[in-house]
Amino acid sequence: MAAVQREERNMPETAPMKTLVSVEKLRVEMPLGAKGAGVPIVDGIDFSIGVGERVALVGESGSGKSVTARALMRLDRYARVSGRIDFNGTDLVKLSEREISRYRGNEIAMVFQDPMSYLDPLMTIGDQVAETLRIRGVGKAEARKRALSVLDELGVDKAAERLNSHPHEFSGGMRQRVVLAMALIGEPRLLIADEPTTALDVRIQDQVLDLLDDVSARRGLAVLFITHDLGVVAGFAERVMVMYSGRLAEDGEVENVFARPLHPYTQGLIKAVPRIDQDLDKLYAIPGAPPAPIARPGGCAFHPRCSQSFARCSAELPRLLTVGQGARVACHLHDRPANDRPVNDRKEG
Amino acid sequence: MSQVITAPVAAASRRKFNFSAFEYFVLTLVVLLLAIAIFGPLFAPASVFKSDIGNSLMPPNAANWLGTDDQGRDVFWRLIVGARTTLLSSFLVVTLYSLIGVALATIAAAGPRWLDEALMRLTDIGLALPGMIVALGFAAAMGPSLQSAIIAMAITGWPITARLLRGIMRQTIELPFVAGAQVLGVSKWRLMTKHILPNSLDVLVVKWAGDIGTTVLVLASLSFIGVGAQPPSAEWGATIASARGYVSSAWWTVVAPGAAVAITSIAFGLLGDMIQIRRNPSLREN
Repeated sequence: MAAVQREERNMPETAPMKTLVSVEKLRVEMPLGAKGAGVPIVDGIDFSIGVGERVALVGESGSGKSVTARALMRLDRYARVSGRIDFNGTDLVKLSEREISRYRGNEIAMVFQDPMSYLDPLMTIGDQVAETLRIRGVGKAEARKRALSVLDELGVDKAAERLNSHPHEFSGGMRQRVVLAMALIGEPRLLIADEPTTALDVRIQDQVLDLLDDVSARRGLAVLFITHDLGVVAGFAERVMVMYSGRLAEDGEVENVFARPLHPYTQGLIKAVPRIDQDLDKLYAIPGAPPAPIARPGGCAFHPRCSQSFARCSAELPRLLTVGQGARVACHLHDRPANDRPVNDRKEG
Repeated sequence: MSQVITAPVAAASRRKFNFSAFEYFVLTLVVLLLAIAIFGPLFAPASVFKSDIGNSLMPPNAANWLGTDDQGRDVFWRLIVGARTTLLSSFLVVTLYSLIGVALATIAAAGPRWLDEALMRLTDIGLALPGMIVALGFAAAMGPSLQSAIIAMAITGWPITARLLRGIMRQTIELPFVAGAQVLGVSKWRLMTKHILPNSLDVLVVKWAGDIGTTVLVLASLSFIGVGAQPPSAEWGATIASARGYVSSAWWTVVAPGAAVAITSIAFGLLGDMIQIRRNPSLREN
């Protein structure tokens, strides 16, 4: 329930937001072998993130959510990225490796799943946090001073004494703070968090989420939060995007999506969250497994697992339709004449 | 998590090593050899390089503990003086070829695939050729001298280091903290030198000690054959070479430097094994 309180505390007023990142027709192919054909892991997605906005990207393992995030920073050396990633007026897809590395850490930063292994075991905490500044020509004393202030901001106890400690001297929660400090010291405008709480225990998880929440509110930092934990989504994000098999299935404000999911896949995901007031033997799972990117079914990729599919679903790829304010869904159920809407449509619900 | 648990254990073992008797023996021997090489020659009498024909081929006695050679020079003090030449040269050789190996491994691990392939095929060639024969050729071509032998061994000794380190660096590149530094905009060169190399080097520490032992032996062999240190030098291989004609009549002139080579080579080899076993506790039971 701490999650709900957090939501109330820091949710900004709904005002028209300036767009920070706008992604158009993003397609990421991974080559099979050195010169093999590309497999489209991410197959043409469009979305945008506003300044200071917190967006969750959810989906099963293999849905392409991490690949999407990594494509934003162009991290995968062998990936073929096409489409457009407009970051504040610059198309990141067109930048050279040298140019993109100036965006990393400075404009877009990333934190990962496992804080234990994301720190160099041989480097002191102070040096590691300061590194982002040092490589950009900030002097040693100045970089250290700012490292100290970021560590302080993130609640690392006795930060001044611990600048010269090595990672193994820190606990899991503290290491995640150090990792966050490394990401934030360059004052990025977008933070990509790739399941940053999955490897932590529940109490630390909550601390880290609170911390992220505070920092993003204080700094006006946009966060793209990748997770498969819908509880975390509900507590942290303003908007949620659901990915299935390399495409967006649904995109909308968290409250609306949770209250009235439009896509049968989202409905299944929400239904599959275990609830404390239900018997364990009644746990729901979406039947079947997500398709491999090489063998994606024709039409809607979800149709073989979908209980509401009909003829059109296997024949035609659903467009991502705009339905209502800021809500989008890629499902033929919502692409009918106005007088023929399904009962679970938002306008009637 | 495992790091959190093992950290206090590591700290404790740093305070107290708990050496076994055998490990104490090896360490004492190595320290003694190093002390002899560094300080021994300071106490050597001036007569070490002077011949005294009237006193030649004396068996071990109170004045000459290990006897004298064909020139009447004291065998014991020549061993002490030769220890410095031998050990210093071996350190130099291992350091030089380690540097070459580290540089090539870094380039191979960081570079494009074709460069990696090219360097590793070059390494294969280096591994396929018998190092000592090639060193012999190089040293002979440069003119027989101690410097030639050192240079020849340095340019033939790197392949194992390069291959080993390149493999380890490739593994280190895959570690998450490298990606973590990369997303902050750390350049590839800095990633290699500041993060990947330091985290890959510890295996070379093990290799280094064992390599000293091997190098002592190879250097002595080259000098013995005649392409390394030349006769007036007290280098052990050269000493054996000049004394080998007297092996039947004055055995001490050959056996003493031969034993010195063997003991030094074995001591450093054991030191290498010892460090390796301490690094990898799964080997400790044996």
